[in-house]
Amino acid sequence: MKPTRARAAARPPKRGKRAENKEKTRRAILQAALDLFAQKGFYHTTTKAISRKARIAEGTLFNYFETKEDLALYFFEQELAGIVDWYQHDKRAQRAHLPEKLFGIIHHLLERLGPYEEFIGAVYLRALQPSSKLSPLSLSSQEQNLRYLRFVRGVLAEAAAAGEIPETGDFGAYAFGLFHLAVITYWLQDRSAGKEQTLALLDRCLKLATTLLKKGGWEW
Amino acid sequence: MVGKPPQPGVLARGLRLGKLGLTLTGSYLGYQAQNLFLGESEQRQRRFEQASSQRVRQELGSLKGAAMKLGQLLSLQTAALPEAAIQELAGLQMQAPGMHPTLARAQFKASLGKPPEEVFRHFEEEPFAAASLGQVHRAVTRNGEKVAVKIQYPAIRTAIENDLKLLRSATFGARLSGHLPQAILDEVQRGFLEETDYLHEARNLEFFAQGLAAFKYVSVPKVHWDLTTERVLTMSFIEGEVAGAFLERKPAAAVRNLLGERLVELFYYQIHKLRALQVDHHPGNYLFQTDGRVGLVDFGCVKKITFDIAVIIRGCVARSWRQGDQQARQVLGLIFGPRVPYARARKMLATLEVMAGVLFPEGTGGAAVVDFGKGEALELLGRAMKKAVRDKVTNPEFAFISRAEMGLYSLLHRLGAKVDVTAAWRRVEQAGQSGALDHTV
Repeated sequence: MKPTRARAAARPPKRGKRAENKEKTRRAILQAALDLFAQKGFYHTTTKAISRKARIAEGTLFNYFETKEDLALYFFEQELAGIVDWYQHDKRAQRAHLPEKLFGIIHHLLERLGPYEEFIGAVYLRALQPSSKLSPLSLSSQEQNLRYLRFVRGVLAEAAAAGEIPETGDFGAYAFGLFHLAVITYWLQDRSAGKEQTLALLDRCLKLATTLLKKGGWEW
Repeated sequence: MVGKPPQPGVLARGLRLGKLGLTLTGSYLGYQAQNLFLGESEQRQRRFEQASSQRVRQELGSLKGAAMKLGQLLSLQTAALPEAAIQELAGLQMQAPGMHPTLARAQFKASLGKPPEEVFRHFEEEPFAAASLGQVHRAVTRNGEKVAVKIQYPAIRTAIENDLKLLRSATFGARLSGHLPQAILDEVQRGFLEETDYLHEARNLEFFAQGLAAFKYVSVPKVHWDLTTERVLTMSFIEGEVAGAFLERKPAAAVRNLLGERLVELFYYQIHKLRALQVDHHPGNYLFQTDGRVGLVDFGCVKKITFDIAVIIRGCVARSWRQGDQQARQVLGLIFGPRVPYARARKMLATLEVMAGVLFPEGTGGAAVVDFGKGEALELLGRAMKKAVRDKVTNPEFAFISRAEMGLYSLLHRLGAKVDVTAAWRRVEQAGQSGALDHTV
């Protein structure tokens, strides 16, 4: 019995280690790809170059990411997780009023996406096709979407508890999610200096929305 | 032919502009309307209050008053514009939407490439004052110098451009009828757009710092060029209080009069010697100290003067129009511009006479002191402008100068200052060509 239990106890870390290594490689590939995208552009980056930079065989690359879409999916997953992480560690953001908080969340994402604009623009178009893994309706992207939406729902619930807005539940989170997509679209085509048009759009929309909610605009 | 008939394209253009307005960032008037609807200024005021400085609240209060006055003034000058549009356009001098710290930081970074905390030793995230089209934050540079950092609300220039396009199509009729000369709109547009460029303002600051160097009682902020862009202006911090806060300390009449005299002197010096004038005379532009020092901090809107205004002022002091037709022609020609026929301009003589009577009183024996506390000058100027619009004698050159004059009198009124305007003018007039005043108050 004893040795079995010991084996059982030893097994998970072993499996965890493998998973960890796998994750490490995934990240290395993504980082290599992103660096190259930023350097040479999305379209001029070959899988060969990515694998060389990530120091893996080109064949191995496909074990991790079948297509560039998978790479993008993983990228967004990382970025969305990054926002949640940032929010949980940023006391300032947590203290702010709702419009500022939501502004902070989207702006933080845009800042992270900033260096990879071309890449995002390219995958964004594909994401609009229903057959794409990246489509908001696709099952592959559901998981990460839901994780993010749950986070947003939590933020909105906090604001509701503080009396800033009425309860909005899932619907509020979905609405924000859609808004988020719209803002990224706007941001991608914003050619103003420092993308200040996007800043203004974000600010005005969020203030308008929260105020409407506050004033009971929710009723209609 | 009496002017061109309205073109069929006007409607289409209007529709296109309407579409522009659909993007939420498209219209400054849209912001303002939204603000009205949201009651943002109230919210903002509360935020400022919470942020501790009662001073700022007072300043905002006074700004609102000034904005209203300005609105009145502009609508006087351009009687045919929809009142609301004018009020909003005028109000934009002072009221951009408020920025929360996250947006202010984002805009700073968008313009300078780095967030404030990487550039400054210390940066206060709550603004201490509202500024034209943005807000001002206190900060300390890496070298330990206290500075004021003005940050502009994002994309405001595009918004104003769109509004002006809209305004042009909305005022087509008024322009045809001659109530609103095209030149006035051009002038307004030039001024507003210049104001959105902080690099331009920074150059103005340097120009005035140099030009007013002879006045030991004046402080003009020094520009930190390395931390200045079109949207962010970093300048040395000037001590002093805005009129509201300053007056709350109940400064002695002597101090108020001294400040009044200095303001008048500065006004005349700018239009006569520098031939350039800080025209946005809202109370936040002046910082007062109890020892009579004056800080001039906002040079967003500067008007270069292309003609010799001294002739007009001299004419008013001496009532030259009474001396004969030729003198009257000369003064009226300068005031109302070459496009207004003498016969029409002549109708303004009575008004001019009254104005001169208030500002440069005659037969007082010694000092010709004007008591601005009575508000007579302000009221008269307003009435004179109204008449000018009614009689279609508005002069585009004066669009901004009279705005400044109005602002000046309203400030003097708040100070309750008694000023010998004639003497102040003489001092400026007699100042050496070098620009230095030998004898300043």
